[in-house]
Amino acid sequence: MKTTIEKEFQIQEPIAKVWAYVSDPIKIVECVPGAAITEKIDVSNYKGTVTSSFGPVKATYNGTINISELDATQYRMTLNGKGLDSKGKGSADMIMNSQLKEVEGGTSVMFNMEISISGMLAQFGSRLIKDVSDQLLNKFIENFKHKLAGEEVDNTMSATSMMGTVLKSTLGGIFGGEKKD
Amino acid sequence: MKIECKTSKAISGMGHSMKRKEDIRFIQGKGKYVDDIKLDGMLYMDIVRSPYAYAKIKNINIDKAMKTPGVVAVITGKDLEKYNLHWMPTLMSDTQMVLPIDTVMYQAQEVAAVIATSRYAAADGVEAVEVDYEVMKPVMDPYKSTEPGAPLLRPDKKGKTDNKIWHWEVGDKKKTDKLFETAEVTIKEQIYVPRIHVCSIETCGCVADYDKVNNHLTMYMTTQAPHAIRTVIALVAGHVGLTEEKIRVISPDIGGGFGGKVPVYPGYVIAIAVSFLVGKPVKWIEDRTENLQADSFARDYHITAEMAGTKAGKIQGIRFKVLADHGYTDASANPSKFPAGLFSICTGSYDYDTAFVEADAVYTNKPPGGVAYRCSFRVTEAVQAIERITDRFAQTIGMDPAAFRFNNFIKKEQFPWKSPTGWSYDSGDYQLALKKAMDVIDYAGLRKEQIEKRKKGEIMGIGICSFTEVVGAGPSKDFDILGIKMFDSAEIRVHPTGKAIARFGTKSQGQGHETTYAQIIAEELGIPAENIQIEEGDTDTAPYGLGTYASRSTPTAGAAAVMAARKLRDKARKIAAYLLEVSEEDLEWEPGVFSVKGAPEKKKTIQEIVFAAYTNHPQGMEAGFEATHYYDPPNLTFPFGSYICVVDIDNETFEIKVRRFVAIDDCGNIINPMIVQGQVHGGLTQGIAPAMYEEMIYDEEGNILNGTLMDYLVPTAVESPNWETGHTITPSPHHPIGAKGVGESATVGAPPAIANAICDALLPYGITNIDIPITPFKIWKAMKERGKI
Repeated sequence: MKTTIEKEFQIQEPIAKVWAYVSDPIKIVECVPGAAITEKIDVSNYKGTVTSSFGPVKATYNGTINISELDATQYRMTLNGKGLDSKGKGSADMIMNSQLKEVEGGTSVMFNMEISISGMLAQFGSRLIKDVSDQLLNKFIENFKHKLAGEEVDNTMSATSMMGTVLKSTLGGIFGGEKKD
Repeated sequence: MKIECKTSKAISGMGHSMKRKEDIRFIQGKGKYVDDIKLDGMLYMDIVRSPYAYAKIKNINIDKAMKTPGVVAVITGKDLEKYNLHWMPTLMSDTQMVLPIDTVMYQAQEVAAVIATSRYAAADGVEAVEVDYEVMKPVMDPYKSTEPGAPLLRPDKKGKTDNKIWHWEVGDKKKTDKLFETAEVTIKEQIYVPRIHVCSIETCGCVADYDKVNNHLTMYMTTQAPHAIRTVIALVAGHVGLTEEKIRVISPDIGGGFGGKVPVYPGYVIAIAVSFLVGKPVKWIEDRTENLQADSFARDYHITAEMAGTKAGKIQGIRFKVLADHGYTDASANPSKFPAGLFSICTGSYDYDTAFVEADAVYTNKPPGGVAYRCSFRVTEAVQAIERITDRFAQTIGMDPAAFRFNNFIKKEQFPWKSPTGWSYDSGDYQLALKKAMDVIDYAGLRKEQIEKRKKGEIMGIGICSFTEVVGAGPSKDFDILGIKMFDSAEIRVHPTGKAIARFGTKSQGQGHETTYAQIIAEELGIPAENIQIEEGDTDTAPYGLGTYASRSTPTAGAAAVMAARKLRDKARKIAAYLLEVSEEDLEWEPGVFSVKGAPEKKKTIQEIVFAAYTNHPQGMEAGFEATHYYDPPNLTFPFGSYICVVDIDNETFEIKVRRFVAIDDCGNIINPMIVQGQVHGGLTQGIAPAMYEEMIYDEEGNILNGTLMDYLVPTAVESPNWETGHTITPSPHHPIGAKGVGESATVGAPPAIANAICDALLPYGITNIDIPITPFKIWKAMKERGKI
């Protein structure tokens, strides 16, 4: 199953600095919740793992990251991730386009992610996968901002907190409580 | 219609609303299901399942699993291959993997089995098995399955060059095509009957108990057909020494079957294989998700339905073309000669002589099936098609759907009626059933109300379904499964004190056999039903039969009970004549008593007669009081009914509310009115399910998107409207007690009644057809497409 997420946010940092982080997989992956780079194959290919946990389903994806487009003049990058669950429970594919723009007082960062998931996680979370991905991306943005500010980043995944955040935002939407951003 | 009872309430023969005998244990939680069985040294099995719909297995690493505490063994296809047990036949003579060697064909397919000392350890072991897959692009759309360039899904089948399984046809093609060229009115509709799941409360499971010392297997399992399963096990495992006399299949209490417990699932076979190898009992119980995702599905028929007729409102013929999506193997449980089941009942309740029906089955990367979900083999699909298109035809010529049906019904005096697809309908009074339903619901009043509501912009619809069923498979000349003829059996033993035990080749899954069979015997012998113990499901004790599905128990085993009881009554007459010192012709029978004609005080009760059979039987007569009968029905039975449904649809949210639902059923003579009503209630709820809620949804990658009961909507009491039931009685002329069977009528009749009501409601908006399940979202979309909102 496929889901597409788009996010735009602004950072009070110059575009060159933001680009330096966005275009460096080692730096950016540190901000992805549950992700780690395990090996650099060459300048545009990396090996890594993503542990994602949702309710009773915990999956560790071993995969590759390939940078298929890196345009420093346009501040545009396309990153392809492919992962297979280590226990054979499923797979995940991701295409992420990022685009930076200079704006007054800093940089605007636009992310567009298309995530395809097969297997257990797709079955279990088909209704909530968008919300989960959305929360992951929010966490990523938060981490990214910390990283740029030179702070420590905690990118471990907590299943219970993730579940709680998703439920809160979903139910909040239903009952007209806390609004999703 | 009042039901006449020939017996007193004390005897409780036919027609009495006797409370169900089995409920004494069920309502106290004392039923014994397969998961209640615990044997010494029993091991537990859990199954590793494929996350992909179509993939090559590159490697299965069991090292970590084997190190998991409590894990005894991990079984893969390669282990079974050594014993040639990695493939098994399906009931449709196709083949199915027990465990794969190199390829998985659907998401949730069995990949390996973990055997452990506890259920928890087995589950931990499953988590630790590492499988390396190479994912392939699955074939999910049955129409694309046969297009050039589609991957060949079953290269294991020698000589197979495409994904077609079979082609089947019936009727007169030439005559039908000619009619469609010349008819005044022809209409065509694409009707999809979605893939659904039976979702019985109890999932499937077994305890395989192989005794090495005696080379004997006892198989406790959730099966609707224990005898057939014993034969299948012997056919599959005979080569390793498990021959049929060494196999005992016991089907304990079953929590719902609905056709889903007819097939042999890989889990059963793996459990047997493991028990055979390790010499210990092995228990396998599916969890809810496995049951939903991997067990045989039902329906999944894409039907192109056409009808031809006159402007004046006379149906002249039909032409149906079906594409059947069977998943990766044809694991239906149809009689051998009927690959599309009894779909050819699709000419319906109407009088015309021209029809051509064809079906093609194809492979896709979905779970195998399709089983007859509370349905006599594809009758639900047939009735959905004919009753939807009947409404469409009436709409097209601007005729009221009730008037159109009256115009076309086969008349009472035309029975037995020969259908254009070859059936011989035994009896019916379709006019009466529809008239009764219309009177109960006030059809004329509703139509007036609808006109008023439409003026106000309110959305209200009335839907009719006048279905004809075909059940009770079946006569041995046409009906067999794997060559075994579809008779069924009963054995009655009456003890010296006049109480009895009777055993059957069928197997109740909640239908109430322990009560209805006892009532049938009570009717024939006059022994109180409460004194008759009914047993089913143990192949060591019960006579051979093909089991319970397709509403066949009353038409076959019920008839066998009548015939066996009548053999005993003949014997009782002889004994009574001997005891009363008169000739047999001088005796008169009333339930439970033989008396001398003209001297009613000279009499012997059945209990006295049975006692004499053991203590004082006539010389030359065989002692004891037992009889067995194998009943081979001369024809199928054809229950029918008329259902009318009224819906109100919110004109903003499009939420559908079933305001009223009247179901008039005719199942011939009624054995227990309360049980019939219960069957109809359950069936109607399982009818509203596909009409408004249930459908198994897969994405292009083969992921099931609603593989849990959180997402797959099984209706509950909350969704069920107040069912208003009633009946007419048109006895079957060939069944010994005139009964027809009722288990599935409501499941078959309800979906088109609901769909017709919703589509009737939406007619003013130019919407003529929406495939079931019809949801508020589908209505909103149809409205949007037509610019109505």
